Amino acid sequence: MPSMKLATMTSAFALSIFSLMATQASADATLDRIKGRGALTVGVILSGAPFGYIDPKTQEQKGFNIDIAKALAEDLGVKLETVTVTPPNRVQFLQQGKVDLLIANMQYTEDRAKVLDYVPTAYDRAGGAAVVRKDSGLKDWADLKGKPVCVSQGSNYTQPLIEEYGAVVKALPSQPESLLALQGGNCVAAVHVGATVGLLLEDRPEDWKDYAIPFPTELIPSDSVIWLRKGEKDTQTALDNSVKKLHASGKLLEFAKSNRLLNTKFLEEQQKALSASK
Amino acid sequence: MQDMNLSDLFVSLTSRIGLNYEFLATGYESQIWRDGFVTTLYLVALLIPVSLIFGLLFAACLTSGKLWLSSPVRGFVELTRNTPTLVQLMFSFLVLNTFVSNLVGGAQNNPLTPFFWVVAVVGLHIAALHAEAIRAGIEAVPASTIEAARGIGFSQFQILRYVEVPLAFRASLPAIVNNLINLVKLTTVGNAIAVSEITYASIMVWTQRDNVVSLMIAILLFFSIINLIVARIGLWVERKLAVPGYGI
Amino acid sequence: MNTVALAPPRKRRHLLRNSGFLALPLIILVWSVADPSLGRELLDWVPYLASGFMMNIVIALLAMTLGTLVGTLFGILELAPYRLVRYPVVAYVQVFRNAPHLVLIFATTYIFPFEIVVAGHYLPFPDWVKAVIGLAIPASAYVAEITRGAIQSIPTTQWEAAKGLGFSQGQALRWIILPQCLRRSLPPWMNLFASITMGTALASLVGVHELLHAATDASTAVRRLDFTIVAYLVVMAAFFMLCYPISRLTRRLEGRFNAA
Repeated sequence: MPSMKLATMTSAFALSIFSLMATQASADATLDRIKGRGALTVGVILSGAPFGYIDPKTQEQKGFNIDIAKALAEDLGVKLETVTVTPPNRVQFLQQGKVDLLIANMQYTEDRAKVLDYVPTAYDRAGGAAVVRKDSGLKDWADLKGKPVCVSQGSNYTQPLIEEYGAVVKALPSQPESLLALQGGNCVAAVHVGATVGLLLEDRPEDWKDYAIPFPTELIPSDSVIWLRKGEKDTQTALDNSVKKLHASGKLLEFAKSNRLLNTKFLEEQQKALSASK
Repeated sequence: MQDMNLSDLFVSLTSRIGLNYEFLATGYESQIWRDGFVTTLYLVALLIPVSLIFGLLFAACLTSGKLWLSSPVRGFVELTRNTPTLVQLMFSFLVLNTFVSNLVGGAQNNPLTPFFWVVAVVGLHIAALHAEAIRAGIEAVPASTIEAARGIGFSQFQILRYVEVPLAFRASLPAIVNNLINLVKLTTVGNAIAVSEITYASIMVWTQRDNVVSLMIAILLFFSIINLIVARIGLWVERKLAVPGYGI
Repeated sequence: MNTVALAPPRKRRHLLRNSGFLALPLIILVWSVADPSLGRELLDWVPYLASGFMMNIVIALLAMTLGTLVGTLFGILELAPYRLVRYPVVAYVQVFRNAPHLVLIFATTYIFPFEIVVAGHYLPFPDWVKAVIGLAIPASAYVAEITRGAIQSIPTTQWEAAKGLGFSQGQALRWIILPQCLRRSLPPWMNLFASITMGTALASLVGVHELLHAATDASTAVRRLDFTIVAYLVVMAAFFMLCYPISRLTRRLEGRFNAA
């Protein structure tokens, strides 16, 4: 079939042009660009309160992540631009340079640290919580073996759920779809960042009266960090200082409280540690 | 063992031209990706007969002349043709599925999987397009041919069985093949509801790595090949069934 | 079958069709009135959803404009007498007509850079523009096929007649063949337009702020199950109200051209 060969050749050709254009995009050091443009572009995720959501009245973005982004931009003396990202596209957006950094519910994992750099001082600590039906009889993570579990596409809980607990992971485009799939009975549990689902169950007791978060531990609790492209040391240092300042001044704790984060123990400890060291 | 060596060879060869298929050497990612190809093929193999059967059924309803049969089908056809399949799929999976769960007394009794909803939504969508093609084919059968059949003593059923359906099927075949190619392409919407077809599998890989280009080349080639095969088979059937003296 | 017998059901069918057209908005309206708290919530979100739907329309219009321009050119080139021109174009059309729209949107979003450098200036290259390109590629492949089919459907004798009247090949194409092609290709072009319009919903999966994405944002913020259902109904109703008239018009045109 000559047309097939032709098809092969052209698609390879077309894609090689794409990739050539893509490599052209890597710009100069991020910090210079931020200062040069006078704006910090942050990728934020709108997975719901308390981290990020749209306010219907003003149609503005609100939440813990947004507050941190605002404070960082203020500290750098530039204005803030936010870009909404989703779990499946956030790493691509950062790699492409569409955003300067990600404050997008991404915890530290070794695999991520291989492809991206991060700000060493964490702004929060979070782990995965599983929402399950009260009558399901599931007691702990090990009970998920062989059962369908919903997550978001690109979630860092996918690998431990599959490899450690042998769950059958179903990844949906974002958190609301995953939770709806749980209510529809397409999975026995939905695993997401603990604070979001915890607050959801608390705020919407009517919709969620048959559901609970029964597992005693969180899945891979780890530091929520700001992610950067590989090798951007200046930006990393500048942001690390900013985050430390936010901890020390108690601002992060304040953001957490005003956005109703359920567990602020980590932030309290950090504030004590960092304000003492000053 | 041989399989391992082959994939290693492939990874090192492709990395030389700047493509990254390293994940093939790892555990669950390469498994998901390989299964993705199989799932897509399985979806296509299942959806083609499903869409054809329901297409015929819908066409029968549309041309029955009975309003109670034709109007619901007509309503469905218009709805599915004029709204995005992705939205239909999300709606079915997230809303209809919840209703079904409530009906059968709880989510744990609901046997419907994401896979079922993809087959139902895409299958019925393409079936609606088939039905339109077949209906146009039936209406294109010349009135004089039917008169002639009636003249030599065919019953209404015999006319349908021996005259209208065979001629209509031939007339609508190009449109049906076209719909089937759309069907193959539409299976990709399954990724939105976690059906592990090839685009879903690729998303799982490229969100953890940075190799979109490599995966895209594989996907585009894969779909080009499937659709070439579908088009070839369609052409072959068309030639087999060609009525002598019609067309070229 | 005579026309007299057909007349009453046709009238009834007309009524059914028009009531069907309004069925979705009616459901939404009745539900909102029956549950005022839901209705108020929905009303708050209408501007946000509307801005999303504008994006769908903009993407569809631009993708079709770009796709039509490129596709018409490619359709003509597909018939070029030179193999060196014809083969690459035929291959382009084959590959991109067979490629899923979703995959092309993924490809353009993730592979194209977010900004391009033109003469030292950084021009932003936003996502929705990438979605336009992602949909314009298959649109151009389809338009190329439509154009080629239309040109081939014009009897060769017309070319010869034009030549006899002293037209050059280009002039014949411009003044005699293309005007006729336009008429023949209008119905399939409009079908494509509707299909591309519906394809814009796929851009939600790469994070473009269009209607489906806006609806997801809204249901995330509201966190009410019934609101989520209504949000999806609104999305369906919006697309239906846009695409159904197009497809009705297409069928009427098809009927008229077939009769002619």
